Amino acid sequence: MAEDRIDSYGAALFQVAQAEQDLARVEDELFTVANRVRSNDALRQALTDQSLPVELRQGIVEDLLGGRASPTTTNLVSMIVGAGRAKDIGAIIERFLELSAGSRSETLAEVTSATPLDTDQQQRLAAALSKRFGHHVSLKVTVDPSIRGGLIAQVGDTVIDGSVRTRLEQLKTQLQESR
Amino acid sequence: MPNLYLLLAQAAPAAGEAATSKNPIVPEVNELIYSILAFAVLIVLFIKFGYPPIKKAMEDRTERIRTDLDKAESAKTDAESILEEYRKQLADAKGESNRIIDEARQQAEKVKADLLDNANKEVAGLKAKATEDIETARNAALASLQSSVASIAIELAEKVVERNLDRDTNQRLIDSFISKVGS
Repeated sequence: MAEDRIDSYGAALFQVAQAEQDLARVEDELFTVANRVRSNDALRQALTDQSLPVELRQGIVEDLLGGRASPTTTNLVSMIVGAGRAKDIGAIIERFLELSAGSRSETLAEVTSATPLDTDQQQRLAAALSKRFGHHVSLKVTVDPSIRGGLIAQVGDTVIDGSVRTRLEQLKTQLQESR
Repeated sequence: MPNLYLLLAQAAPAAGEAATSKNPIVPEVNELIYSILAFAVLIVLFIKFGYPPIKKAMEDRTERIRTDLDKAESAKTDAESILEEYRKQLADAKGESNRIIDEARQQAEKVKADLLDNANKEVAGLKAKATEDIETARNAALASLQSSVASIAIELAEKVVERNLDRDTNQRLIDSFISKVGS
């Protein structure tokens, strides 16, 4: 049931963005919003706190996005928060991004990097992922220094983890398990 | 004695004279007959009335003596029987006491064996537990050491990575990742 609701909200976002003919910008902005909500505990708690009035929570959205993001993006996020679905905002935006990539016959790849990727690296990575998965892949890159170095790419349910953080964790596990 | 002969000699002429005169010593014939008859009657009466009670008394006495003898014999037999019974009971009591002593001895031996067995088992259990405790402590110490070594190694590795993971190195890691994904 929750999956159906997320699909419906994702489809609604996609249709609105498509109707506003601002799909590419909304994609980038919603992707950024999803990352911020996922990485910022205080923001996530504020948006999902049902004890706070809806207007106050929507005011937080206006304060964060007003003037920085397109009105379409701001209104869509405000609509999700106003409907009390802020806890599912990450999944809803992910579904929206999948639908958006699907409309271009592309598959969405969420890439996490410790440092920003330049255009050449993004093109080569998109090409490599397209070759590996057999269809065109579009990238959404998140910069997360906590992975220390390397890259993490997630396409659908497949995660390719080449981060330094994961390699260090694997090394630690091996050292603890070896006796 | 001579005096008796003298008297008889003197009496003889008197007897001779008896034919003519009465002899004071020799009873008259009729008196003799009466005496004899009276004696016979007396004998008959005695036989008839005197002898049976005497005979019965004698027989009773004989019978009483025989009964007493029988009783004595019976008492003797009974006494011997009782004595034999006592002896038998004494022998049984001795056998019973010997049996009880043997049982007590066997029970004591069994208790002793059980105590020894339990003590041996307890000692073995304590020894096994001590060995197990030592092994557990050893494993815990090894695990703790292993964990410490792993943590130290990871800390060192992280420091080495931080020191050496500059921008160029990260770019090479990214390029290597892209190459591996595409291959």
